[in-house]
Amino acid sequence: MIIDTQIASLFTAVAMIVIGIFAAAFLDNLIKKVIGLAFIGDGVNLFLISMGYKAGGIVYIYLPGMASEWFSQNASYPLPFAMVLTSIVIGASTMAVMLGIIIVLYKKHGSIKASKILGE
Amino acid sequence: MIEYLFMLTAIIGAVLALMQRDLLKSAILTGITGASIAILYQYLLAPDVALTQAIVGAAIIPVFFALAVYKTRRMEE
Repeated sequence: MIIDTQIASLFTAVAMIVIGIFAAAFLDNLIKKVIGLAFIGDGVNLFLISMGYKAGGIVYIYLPGMASEWFSQNASYPLPFAMVLTSIVIGASTMAVMLGIIIVLYKKHGSIKASKILGE
Repeated sequence: MIEYLFMLTAIIGAVLALMQRDLLKSAILTGITGASIAILYQYLLAPDVALTQAIVGAAIIPVFFALAVYKTRRMEE
């Protein structure tokens, strides 16, 4: 292949972040703004995972019979994976809070357009 | 080789989710993007993150969006 998997994953992550920033900044619907923020979170998680990837490596599980030097040279870097696991769950719960605030705003103003709620 | 297909699916699903006028279709396309990213995590040697993302990104987040759309209005005016 022309570009390897790591570079292609980094480009995918950057594309997700750009799409999310566009949606959160320029779209008028509040639910679409929240979808854009979810895409930004997905892109950042994918970026961190791609940084820890090692081409041709193995999963970071130490099985009996592996030489420790060989394992340390071939296993992917495990620290961002453990942290991203937390980040995914926190992203989902913050998004639930945002959607709850949108429901309260809809009950008060009768619309989910940002321009109408802000009175412009 | 097949991971390039899932990268394309993630980006195309993200773009299509923002182009819909029906917000319920938008929520379902968000789930497609989350599922492709979960499979991509499996190819990037992170199976535990792939498990969490498959549950949270492909099931819980579209259900949250669908509940929010059900409580507000479905069509974007």
